[in-house]
Amino acid sequence: MESTINPSKGIGLLTPDELETPPLSLGELTWRRFRRHKMAIFGGVTLILLILYSFGGMLFFTEADANRTETGARLQSPSLAHPFGTDTIGRDILARTIYGGQISMLIGMTAMLVEVIMGVLIGAAAGFFGGRLDSLLMRITEAIIVIPQIFLLLVMAKFFGGSLPNIHVLGRTLSGSVVVIILIIGLTSWPYLARIVRAQFLSLKENDFVLAARATGTPTFEIIFRHILPNSMAPIIVAATLGVANAITAEAYISFLGLGVRPPTATWGNMLEGAYNYIESAWWLWFFPGMLIALTVLSINFLGDGLRDALDPRSRSA
Amino acid sequence: MTRYIIRRLLQAIPLLFIISVVLFVMMQNMGDPLATMGGRTVTRSSERARLTRQLGLDKPIYVQYLYWLVGNDWTKIDLDGDGVPESAGRRQGILRGDFGTSLVNRGVPVVKVIGDRLVNTLLLMLTAELVIIVGALLIGIYSALHQYSVLDNAITAVTFFLYSLPVFFFALIVMYIFAVNFKRWGLPYLPTVGMFDPQVGKTPSQVAWHMVLPVATLSFGFFAAYSRYIRSAMLEALNQDYVRTAKAKGLPRPQIVYIHALKNAALPIVTVVALDLPFLLGGAVVTERIFAWPGTGRLFLDHVSRGDTPVVMGLLMMIAVAVILFQIIADVLYAWLDPRIRYK
Amino acid sequence: MFSKRIAQTFLFLFVILSLALAGCAPAPQPTTAPAAPEATQPPAAPATEPPAAPATEPPAAPEATEPPAEPPAERPVLTMIFTQEFDTLNPYYTNMWFSQITQSFWNCWAWTFDEATAPVPILVSEMPSIDNGGITEGGRVLTFKLRDDLVWSDGTPLTADDFVFTYEMVINPANTVAQVSPYDLVKSIEAPDPQTVVVTFEEPYAAWIGTFWRGLLPKHILQPVFDADGTIDNAGWNRNPTVGCGPFNFSEWESGSFARFVANDNFWLGKAKIGEIFVRFVPDDASQIAALKAGEGDVGTFFAYSDVPELEAAGVNIIKSFSGYNEGFYFYLDPEKSHPALRDVNVRKALAYATNRQKLTEDLLLGLTVPAATLWDNTPYVDPSLQPYPYDPEKAKQLLDEAGWIDSDGDGVRDKDGVALELTYGTTTREIRQDTQAVFQQELAEVGIKTELQNFDYDIFFSGYGEGGPAATGQLDMYEYSNVVTGYPDPDTADWLCSEIPSDDSPAGVNWSAYCDEELDALFLLQATQVDDAARRATFHQISKMIYDKVYWLGIWQDPDLFGISDKLANVRISGVMPFFNIFEWEFK
Repeated sequence: MESTINPSKGIGLLTPDELETPPLSLGELTWRRFRRHKMAIFGGVTLILLILYSFGGMLFFTEADANRTETGARLQSPSLAHPFGTDTIGRDILARTIYGGQISMLIGMTAMLVEVIMGVLIGAAAGFFGGRLDSLLMRITEAIIVIPQIFLLLVMAKFFGGSLPNIHVLGRTLSGSVVVIILIIGLTSWPYLARIVRAQFLSLKENDFVLAARATGTPTFEIIFRHILPNSMAPIIVAATLGVANAITAEAYISFLGLGVRPPTATWGNMLEGAYNYIESAWWLWFFPGMLIALTVLSINFLGDGLRDALDPRSRSA
Repeated sequence: MTRYIIRRLLQAIPLLFIISVVLFVMMQNMGDPLATMGGRTVTRSSERARLTRQLGLDKPIYVQYLYWLVGNDWTKIDLDGDGVPESAGRRQGILRGDFGTSLVNRGVPVVKVIGDRLVNTLLLMLTAELVIIVGALLIGIYSALHQYSVLDNAITAVTFFLYSLPVFFFALIVMYIFAVNFKRWGLPYLPTVGMFDPQVGKTPSQVAWHMVLPVATLSFGFFAAYSRYIRSAMLEALNQDYVRTAKAKGLPRPQIVYIHALKNAALPIVTVVALDLPFLLGGAVVTERIFAWPGTGRLFLDHVSRGDTPVVMGLLMMIAVAVILFQIIADVLYAWLDPRIRYK
Repeated sequence: MFSKRIAQTFLFLFVILSLALAGCAPAPQPTTAPAAPEATQPPAAPATEPPAAPATEPPAAPEATEPPAEPPAERPVLTMIFTQEFDTLNPYYTNMWFSQITQSFWNCWAWTFDEATAPVPILVSEMPSIDNGGITEGGRVLTFKLRDDLVWSDGTPLTADDFVFTYEMVINPANTVAQVSPYDLVKSIEAPDPQTVVVTFEEPYAAWIGTFWRGLLPKHILQPVFDADGTIDNAGWNRNPTVGCGPFNFSEWESGSFARFVANDNFWLGKAKIGEIFVRFVPDDASQIAALKAGEGDVGTFFAYSDVPELEAAGVNIIKSFSGYNEGFYFYLDPEKSHPALRDVNVRKALAYATNRQKLTEDLLLGLTVPAATLWDNTPYVDPSLQPYPYDPEKAKQLLDEAGWIDSDGDGVRDKDGVALELTYGTTTREIRQDTQAVFQQELAEVGIKTELQNFDYDIFFSGYGEGGPAATGQLDMYEYSNVVTGYPDPDTADWLCSEIPSDDSPAGVNWSAYCDEELDALFLLQATQVDDAARRATFHQISKMIYDKVYWLGIWQDPDLFGISDKLANVRISGVMPFFNIFEWEFK
């Protein structure tokens, strides 16, 4: 059932010069299909705006602004001086969402990288070599899938919690818990990707071009990374895109439950942590960071959806 | 088929073993159950030493795991601290059905601690699942029958938007609107906390009323996934030869749609549901936390925060077993429903 | 057709299952319908000892406030909102405040304390003293005289045997009780007659009043359990203590939802005016505040200071009850491993002058409390002459300059001998503490002290040395929390004893400052044996002066327990030791 080879699959992904009439490169083709997907364009534009907001905002607010406490001006509702209001110790929420956004996005990207590296390596090894290694790796993969991610995240957050000192990057002090959160999100989310990659490898490794490469004595390493992997990029790219959204949400969940990134480092997630107690009295505490998370996740999901259609039109129904 | 099931069950044994070892090791570093023991002061040194010994926390981790797995009634343990084991162990181990006793509610069996909450979680989760299925079926069928209509596009956009909202943000918004503001405006507002109003008592109508917001919160995100799944399955089914044949035979449209097409489109959904069901067992941690629902999710949070290994282990292992069982059930169901699939 | 039927069956089963769960799980029982007549009837004769019960019941009746002829009026239900659920109800198995405060409902202490922390006898007829012969042999022997009208709620007489049984259970190593202390100091406990309990210590023990007989175990219920199981760990009574000795009887406890206590008319100090106490568990402040504001709860506690204005606006009375907690800084002062700056008393003083604790209490704590000067603020042992260090950043800078900590490399952080004045400052994840950290970080930066903030969950923060706890193992230069002197209102604490410095050999030690001040150590050892209260107070004045002068502990704020009490209630008095000590006198206006 798994190894049904679909001949049309290979052609779409062949390098252009192998086609007789190459009107468009693969990238151009993809872009054309992507462009037709209005929601994806909307997602992409929103995402760029959000990135501009988080990183461009640095020009207007320094990190010290984001952390400056003014206990006399606590819990002020949105005003000209503080467009998003102030929090429980009088910090400006606008400035904090800017710096929090950077960390949230950083967590999303790096956790995704951890996920992709682990997922691709494990999935490729299992799919390519098969046999004992495959069943061992797949047992481990299953073991992680079997426990819902939120439970694993909470247990691991406690396990690693507080064990790392603060780190200094580019003149900024980040709570060590940022690294912890990145690691645990990455470590708990790779199994799905590994399964996708494994399935790809299982079907591709029997293809003629792989057999040919083997026959000419190409080293295994090269077969995996030069021949099979590039041909399985489409689902990996889609999964990675959605992985960023998943990581941002996961960070928000654990922060919301009080086990996330520790102050003074702000993230959109941990800005929500205590805000729940102010649901009635100070809506701006939870509305702005919550809205930014929702917007980011939404635009990434749209983007991922568009990419899926553009890279692999037939996977639409999946 | 029987051989297939047996093989899957056998495969599950090493899987559960790996899971239990990894979780057990992690839980040893999860926090110190004796740090304050729920109190506001640090536990005295003499008490800490005594309790560590009595609860067996001074043993090396592999011994603790062994006791957890097979019990300690075959050996003697040292309770009075003179260094000489003198009392017979009383634990039977998880393999003999003894999940141990909670460290937080000292002496209370884990099975009882979890059992007290499990019913509430199941009630919430099964209701949510039901709402999801019914809602997704309605949305999915409508979208499939009116493909690319304005409403179809609107539904796709809205469900996608809801799918992207983090659960807690959705919960906060519905709470803010339907509880806080409705109350402010003098409208009938929804309760946000607990399972029932103590002034009225635990009547079915109270419980149902208190379930509205948590069920809505739990189900909204799934509408998108399920309804899109149903939509594409329906579309595929409607293009099949037998549907065309039915049309050619002049069968009434509702019969074609709801009997011939839906029958085949809905079958895969059954397995999706079977795969998702056990995850509900753990309860939506966040939803239960926000709406103060006395279920297993809240139990998990409370006991994780006090390092209560037996309860947390019990809960996670229970979920793991349920997930594995339902995976097998899903496979079997699928094969049973679709004669084209054969397992060896 | 075959498969369609299956699909339908599946869905159908689903519906049935859900409905069945909805129908049967919450067994519809009118929980709060105040069934006063049933609830208040005299308990059925005890199963175990039928003849004994009638003999003791008559004396109890005349003591009741009203003649029994009065028709059983419907008595109101009092709803309390707790943000944490009890772990267990057995008084010796819990350290949890929310469980302890219910002990005045259904269990009994030998004596409790009123709002001025004066002892109020419950089981004893009077407090033992040297004058009445209760304290003899220089404090080594205590004799407790019990009232003669004591009964358990099932009618069984409550006698000195129950005291001896309680003692035996607590010290028995087969029982995993939360605290053996102070019973481990006891040489013997005897019951020469049913109304006399004699406790003999190895050494004179001064702190008995704040530690002894906090809860009693019913021998007639638990002895059979112990004989059968060899332990009372698994006794059903721990969770369902249907037999008690308080003004209310335990009725039911549903996990995650509520617990109920109904009035016990056998209580010897008077019949409760409230018919039932309903304790509702909600998981957080927000739900608690909403319930209190809406009048769905009559009593709430443990909310944040920031919630107070909202509650007061809704007509809820706020009672501040001091229970010996004072928020403050501890410093890691190990002679070798600690930060060299902190070993200098002037640097510690500079920390005191550099932090504006007055403004903090005004802004973040809304002026509901004041800065703390000593660990014994609001206890009878406080030295009133000690006042909190004032906010004076110039003085702080001057002290730091004099101590040699100057910013030699111009990076805004003081340093000395190549070591930067950079301190790790850790605390728990409690919101107000995280907020305090952010404020102090800014204030300390202004005088050139850099702080690295860390937060930990409770169970990690308070982990011991053996478990690698961050404070216990010296990973934090300064750490903030609110400690109570163990056994409040008794002032004793082990936090500065030289013998309590944790090490690989004695990982359980609680002196996490890891500093041994011989003089202070001697004073602490002296007061523990001073049965004469005046002498002990004088010793504590010396102790607190020394800790204040050497800044071994720096007070931040006095941390009272907050109670929100409905304005419909009257006669409410809140004690810092046992908040609801006079619950049987409470009534609705």
